[in-house]
Amino acid sequence: MSGLSDHARRNREFWDRRSDEYHERNAAFIAGGMAWGVWQIPEAELNVLGDVSGLDVLELGCGAAEWSRALLAAGARPVGLDNSAKRLEWARRANEEAGVGFPLLHASAEDVPLADGSFDLVMCDWGAMTFADPYLTVPEVARLLRPGGFAAWTGGTPWAWVTYDEGRDAHGTELLSDYFGLHRWDDAEGSVDFMLPYGEWIRLFRRSGLAVEDLIEVRPPEGARSTYRTAEDAAWARRWPLEQIWKVRKEARVSAGSEH
Amino acid sequence: MAELSPEAARNRDLWTQTNAEYTHEQGRRAWAQEEISWGIWSLPEREVGALAGIELEGADVIELGCGTGYVSAWLARRGARPVGVDVTPAQLETARQLQLEHGLDFPLLEADAQAVPLPDASFDLVVSEYGASIWCDPYRWIPEAARLLRPGGRLVFLCNSTLVILCSDDEEPALERLVQTQFGMHRFEWPQGGVEYHISHGSWIALLREHGFEVEALHELQAPADASTHEHYGYVTADWGRRWPAEELWRARKR
Repeated sequence: MSGLSDHARRNREFWDRRSDEYHERNAAFIAGGMAWGVWQIPEAELNVLGDVSGLDVLELGCGAAEWSRALLAAGARPVGLDNSAKRLEWARRANEEAGVGFPLLHASAEDVPLADGSFDLVMCDWGAMTFADPYLTVPEVARLLRPGGFAAWTGGTPWAWVTYDEGRDAHGTELLSDYFGLHRWDDAEGSVDFMLPYGEWIRLFRRSGLAVEDLIEVRPPEGARSTYRTAEDAAWARRWPLEQIWKVRKEARVSAGSEH
Repeated sequence: MAELSPEAARNRDLWTQTNAEYTHEQGRRAWAQEEISWGIWSLPEREVGALAGIELEGADVIELGCGTGYVSAWLARRGARPVGVDVTPAQLETARQLQLEHGLDFPLLEADAQAVPLPDASFDLVVSEYGASIWCDPYRWIPEAARLLRPGGRLVFLCNSTLVILCSDDEEPALERLVQTQFGMHRFEWPQGGVEYHISHGSWIALLREHGFEVEALHELQAPADASTHEHYGYVTADWGRRWPAEELWRARKR
């Protein structure tokens, strides 16, 4: 792809470089699919997606495509997209082992080479909605959805961002960075992460013709385990949301007067 | 008026005292102001745009927790037909006095915003500026707002941000660290205050959706570079408010 943004190129390199190590550390923990986020809260508990049978689903930042395989098993028609070829190799291998097949697409979620209105659901679990610029991905999500279709994705929270202590790689209680202007974080390890203030997310959804359906502020159960997060993070997340799930729906038509 | 809840009675006592100490005079200044402005940093509506695109001319407006009535006065001057509702007689008395001084008359109703004695679907806009928006239980006043609105009507309310509440303990001003737990946040009693209600972003969205509202906007208000800490409301400094949101304005449309 010629139009890859600078941060998309950097994140592609980051994920290609980290792919095997990531798989080694987390693959067994997330193998089942149908569970959200760093504490793998079951979809059956959160009920974000509902019945997916018969839906055309796009997973943005699918990695080894654990979610897409689970959605396929639940009757959906998934397409897995990832910006890293190395991550998609793991997806192909896992699909072969499971004896299943569905399209796997090597592309940035900021510029998806698929037709408008192709999906009933676009979903993402700490994938491209964190590692791509929401000012580009949210309009893409809106473009790819059919009218009445919906999108849901997990990511971090503004609170997690403003309390992040890079030196300790942990979240404390001190507000260490500004909330206003929140957008991009160049991580010391080489990735570029994105986050927006609450009001800015809502402004972007509305501008893209997406209605806000839900914001689930995830609270892990006591003693929740994770291969992604420490016990200290889990204790923090019992008090304040460290991850959140947005759910938005593409409006059947743009209602008059909703833009301002 | 129906008997007040203990919370509403406490808040009425607080606001009777605050009106004598502050809002009686502040209301006079606000009534004299031509421009609509929002919150402790006095951000002009032309910059915030919380009411942008809402037809005010001829609109039936109800202000829930109107205090001295200056927001209703601003809207009346733009052609709206406001009704001001408040639970504190002293503040309504100030509002009546200012109506006479400004020759601007609109109904003022002594009532609890959680149980407004007016018919369903009688308003085009519900507005609450630090009224019901923090002094009433959202699980009671949001259903009332939904009931009072006509289909397509708007709800605009200003309240404290979640973050400033999370950073507030018994002493003012807000700290630069999280001290309150977010999960379960709802009812707050500060040592010198009444009873306030603050819920998280996810809870607001769920509650608004449940009562038939589409969320149209969330304006998080930032203190401008030249802002000073507010003369009366010292719960947050201007320095804090430049980095993090102390206040937010929600806008929703009833389906």
